Amino acid sequence: MEDRAQILRKMVANIYHPHSASIQGVKEETRDIKTLTLVFKDQEIQDHFTFQPGQFVLVSVFNCGEAPISISSSPTFSEGLQLSIKKMGLLTGEIHRYTEGEEVGLRGPYGNGFPLDELCGHNLLFVGGGIGLAPLRSLIQYVFSKRSEFGRVTVLYGARTPRDIVFKDDLAAWGREKDVKVLTTVYRDNPEWKGEVGPLSPLLEKAAISPSNTKAIICGHPAIISYVIFDLLKMGFAEDEIISTLERNMKCGVGKCGHCSIGSKFTCMHGPVFTYRQIKEFPSVL
Amino acid sequence: MHRVLTTCCFCACGCNLYLEVEAEKIVGVIPSREHPIARGNLCLKGWNSSEFVHHKDRLRYPLIRKNGRLVKASWEEALDLVAKKLSDIKERYGAECLGVLSSAKCTNEENYLLMKFARAVLKTNNVDHCARLCHSPSVIGLSNAFGSAAMTNAISELAGAEVILVTGSNTTEQHPQIARFIFDALARGAKLIVVDPRRILLSRFAHVYLQPRLGTDVIWLNGMMKIILEEGLFDDAFIEMRTENFRAFSEMLRSFDLKHVQAISGIPVEDLRRAARTYASVKRAMIIYSMGITQHISGTDNVQSIANMAMLTGHVEQECTGVGPLRGQNNVQGACDMGALPGTLSGYQSVADEGIRKKFERVWKTDLPTAPGLTATDMFHGTGDKKIQAMFIMGENPALSHPDLKTTRAALQALEFVAVSDIFLTETAEFADVVLPAASFAEKDGTFTSTERRIQRIRKAISPVGTSKPDWQIIRELSSRMNCPMDYESPAEIMEEIAMLTPIYGGVYYDRLERGWGLFWPCPNRDHPGTPFLHKGSFARGKGRFEYISYRPPAEIPDDAYPFYLTTGRIYEHWHTGSMTRRITALSREQPEAFVEINPKDAKRLGVANAKPVRVVSRRGEITVKARFTDDVPEKTVFIPFHFREAPANILTHGHCDPGAKIPEFKVCAVRLEPVQ
Amino acid sequence: MPDELILDKEHLTGFLRKIAKERELVAPVKNSHGDTLFEVVSSVDDISLDLESKPVMPAKNFFLPRTETLFHYQRKGKQYLFKEVLPEVPRVLFGLRSCDLWAILFLDVVFQENFKDRYYLNRRSDTVLINIGCREPMRNCFCKSAKSGPFLTQGYDLQLTDLGDRFFVEIGRPRGRELVEKWDYFFRPATNRDRDEQYEIVLEAESRFERIVDFDTAISRFINNEVDDALWEELGNRCQGCGGCAYVCPTCYCFNIVDRPDSETEGQRLRIHDACTLAGFTRLAGGHNPRHERSRRVRRRFYHKLPFAQEKYHRPSCVGCGRCVEICFGRVDMIHFIRMVCERPEKSKEASLRLGEILVRAGVISTEELKIALEKQDRTGKLLGTQLIEDGLATGKEIAFALGRQLGIPETVGTGGVVGR
Repeated sequence: MEDRAQILRKMVANIYHPHSASIQGVKEETRDIKTLTLVFKDQEIQDHFTFQPGQFVLVSVFNCGEAPISISSSPTFSEGLQLSIKKMGLLTGEIHRYTEGEEVGLRGPYGNGFPLDELCGHNLLFVGGGIGLAPLRSLIQYVFSKRSEFGRVTVLYGARTPRDIVFKDDLAAWGREKDVKVLTTVYRDNPEWKGEVGPLSPLLEKAAISPSNTKAIICGHPAIISYVIFDLLKMGFAEDEIISTLERNMKCGVGKCGHCSIGSKFTCMHGPVFTYRQIKEFPSVL
Repeated sequence: MHRVLTTCCFCACGCNLYLEVEAEKIVGVIPSREHPIARGNLCLKGWNSSEFVHHKDRLRYPLIRKNGRLVKASWEEALDLVAKKLSDIKERYGAECLGVLSSAKCTNEENYLLMKFARAVLKTNNVDHCARLCHSPSVIGLSNAFGSAAMTNAISELAGAEVILVTGSNTTEQHPQIARFIFDALARGAKLIVVDPRRILLSRFAHVYLQPRLGTDVIWLNGMMKIILEEGLFDDAFIEMRTENFRAFSEMLRSFDLKHVQAISGIPVEDLRRAARTYASVKRAMIIYSMGITQHISGTDNVQSIANMAMLTGHVEQECTGVGPLRGQNNVQGACDMGALPGTLSGYQSVADEGIRKKFERVWKTDLPTAPGLTATDMFHGTGDKKIQAMFIMGENPALSHPDLKTTRAALQALEFVAVSDIFLTETAEFADVVLPAASFAEKDGTFTSTERRIQRIRKAISPVGTSKPDWQIIRELSSRMNCPMDYESPAEIMEEIAMLTPIYGGVYYDRLERGWGLFWPCPNRDHPGTPFLHKGSFARGKGRFEYISYRPPAEIPDDAYPFYLTTGRIYEHWHTGSMTRRITALSREQPEAFVEINPKDAKRLGVANAKPVRVVSRRGEITVKARFTDDVPEKTVFIPFHFREAPANILTHGHCDPGAKIPEFKVCAVRLEPVQ
Repeated sequence: MPDELILDKEHLTGFLRKIAKERELVAPVKNSHGDTLFEVVSSVDDISLDLESKPVMPAKNFFLPRTETLFHYQRKGKQYLFKEVLPEVPRVLFGLRSCDLWAILFLDVVFQENFKDRYYLNRRSDTVLINIGCREPMRNCFCKSAKSGPFLTQGYDLQLTDLGDRFFVEIGRPRGRELVEKWDYFFRPATNRDRDEQYEIVLEAESRFERIVDFDTAISRFINNEVDDALWEELGNRCQGCGGCAYVCPTCYCFNIVDRPDSETEGQRLRIHDACTLAGFTRLAGGHNPRHERSRRVRRRFYHKLPFAQEKYHRPSCVGCGRCVEICFGRVDMIHFIRMVCERPEKSKEASLRLGEILVRAGVISTEELKIALEKQDRTGKLLGTQLIEDGLATGKEIAFALGRQLGIPETVGTGGVVGR
């Protein structure tokens, strides 16, 4: 135990100091999303690094600075830490060029993560859009590793086109689990696509979701979220039972730099996971 | 850590600031509180003005083009090559085929020296700088009317004006510290008139806001003067005693029909009447103008109309009353003062005047060319027989800042030899055969002259980065290689020569600049305290001269094929071609990319979405930029800032110029917009 | 050693000279251009100490520099290595104004709570703070309203009061006592007369404040949402976005973290002061900005300084130094803001907006178009959003954003906090 405390101290002795981690594997999910598997070079850190689904790390890329990326693997996954990264700008563009063996810097984990205790014993409805499935994947994998502690699981996923679907193998694997329903839709299909086409909202009906004893966890583009929350409220979900995440510009990750503030909270510390009730009560423009 | 007081390197407000230096690195910037313009604050650019100095892209050693590529070279090699090439080409084609671009970003001493280098060493009057693109019409227009071409008053006098008329100047963005004095005046109860085709921020505070169509300034100015005349609001005593040619002017003006005002400029006559009454009915009124007035083919006309209006109402020659052309660059006033112009030596002394030439020849110990030189625009866009074969360009970036870039770049490409000295590898430097790394403002001594004619020191805070050298040393080295040794040891020594040869700088010496906050020219001798406002008691040319101006429409106006007006300009966060500001974190983060301001109604009709790319096409070329919806631009008018190399607005602009001032019409051209799928 | 002492002015230089031997001495110095700045004093003999005026910048820059290197990094082959730079300077800050000292104590809390900030704390840990009480408020000062001056009752190591020919010295924290005990021969115990004299000066100073700034009313109106949009709009127009208010504020600590490449293989990670009035402060990688309008940013700034700090630290994070008042281009400063809020009539509670109205306000559709769509909707029975999309008057995205606004969902909800950026 003492050993662990010492290592933890080492990890946070300087909160801005990243730890080198090398890329063990690169998986191309879509044309602009890659999943990297990372392992800390310092064996002690690697052995003791723990996190909760929904938390994120700050990733340093040589000469490009830092960016917050949520962890897409489950804490129970033993081969390293997985990050699914969409090519957006300078930093993410650079990391997309990285290959196995190359190193990035990591610090964290930061953020509150999903409220595992509260989710325990409930049916879970996951609604994800695009890359928004990444943090959900961490939680879904975790749920499957502790299957008996949770009720029925429904995963609704929407992507722009069939080519933009992430975690294809995972989606298929989840669908094979007991008491699990996975529905995937695309906004624009192509000839090979056999599945659903259109927005996410109608899937709620199709999946025959009942609000009783169910928690909804939503992650995706804000435009999708608004529709989904609107429908969930209509279906009778309580505001506390809808859980989503907020995106803000983050720099320090530890509640100091001021960038990610919303109301009197910092997204990096008090978030990024919030219930709809909390989100609604934030002073709208702050 | 120690601190060095210096002058800001961005705009011509001339704020003084302290550079905080630790271990040869600048780590911070602090405004001076006592400085009369800085007053304890800076604009965002000023607060971040030091960051580019240590940027990794700084040029650290000379480059020479070998096999088409710029490669590292020694100073010896690079300077020898420049000297040899310039000499050769001069030998082969004659001196009139050499062109020199001086820089409004460099010091007075460097501008003086480069002007001297062009005239005394290269023997050509082909020396010019970017004032050609900003206030050349002011130089001509105000000289014609008043006899002197600069702000008539000190900036701080704005705070004491009763009425301030701002036209063609987005003051809060481009001269923030001057806008601060406008806010001070407003707090004291002054009235503000804003005339601008874009609904700029200042218009939200205006008592009268007029929104003319692009390029119709002469119309509303004439209309306003006609109203002043009709309503008897003019100052007849002033006109009588201080001006000439009023009779002819007023007769012409009487025949001007107010109906044209609304029809051509789009301004309702009643609004104009309110503006006229507001402006003419007080004792202390100031007009502030900038590029919106000058960057037209009728730039000189516009300036002269403004001068007419100031004289008509007697709003010159007093404190807190006058005409203020706001200069853009930190030292564009100084670069003009130093004679980096084809027609004048330092202090606006004409090269055509034999007596003046003799004076300079005696000190410079050589004879000077008499043939008039080419302007910066003619060097690139000119036709005719005097084709430029080689150029020396110091700290300017015509490959991004000149109009009709395709033509400009083709002209650069066609040159037999180009040498560029700059702090970064600019778009222009990419055309160069030799690139000389120059020291930045933080790495050298010298003086800048601000828009209010205030001559101030800049001071060396750190050693030049890499092997870079201050431009005055580069010119000195080149000159000595061309058999004209210049043995100046310091900028102070150069200033002594400037003072000797330049009456308006006659009393400017470094020891005097150490005390107080610089000197206002004219400052003819050591005992003279300097002149905060001009034309006290009489105009520099004797009597102010009225000249009636007839309206001329812009060179290119929208038609069916190109139905939109395009106007270009700058934005708060960036400086000109962005070589410095786009390398500053806070500034590039604030405005990372090019955009086009478009009225949402137009956008809707075109099917363009906000923040989505749109193609802007003119007869010269096309660029793709992101749409930014705002009703600050009227319908059928779009605005694009010209800072962004990846989407250069000047690909679109045309090369038509004001006939006298040779300023291109950056402010008006015709484009069409296409959504990008 | 008693808690209250006298230091004769003739001994000040001697005392400072002794201190400067062991610690970096920082003091307000008036330079030859007339500006007073906190300077590192290398020789006490050639400076003109200025204990009469407020330095241009607060002292925060000594602990949180404008630009500081957090670490150097390097790339060696595929390796990515970090080399820490942790500064530690024993220092004494002499001649602080009370407000500036109070601000440092405020920053101490921020940088110590939750995660400890080693950079700040290392610089701060061995620093002695000596303030001088202000006998007279300077231009734009309102520390009395902010409860951080003109004299302090705690928090200092030593506090000086100018008694004409001598300083009255109060010992606060242990570090102050250590210093005085080490150089005790410069000091003598204060008499009752000295104490009375000092007390009078404090009372006199407090009575001379002209600017009474009503923080409490402003905060309560703010919290109760009684500040109308027009006020924010006006402040938004007046703000020029120079960032000056944050740069000069003794308690503003927001910062940016960026990389500065030095070469193709090396660079530094820097921490640079940031300002919340800048658009880039909150803009996301994808371009969306939750505080796009300047009025929102100004609102955020005052929210952070007033209700936020009140809730978290039980006091506003304004120490009343008046620097923002002095420098703001458009009078978007603490004094003018609080005055505007207090003088404003209470705003009427705004009815919650309907979807159509939100779309009209956002400029997506015109009132006319809304009317037509509503009429049509009556006939078709479709949802307004659907109707508008079908008629090509709005995109699904625009409806989504309007819907989000109606539901009170910020436009950044749901993107995984940090997904893939």
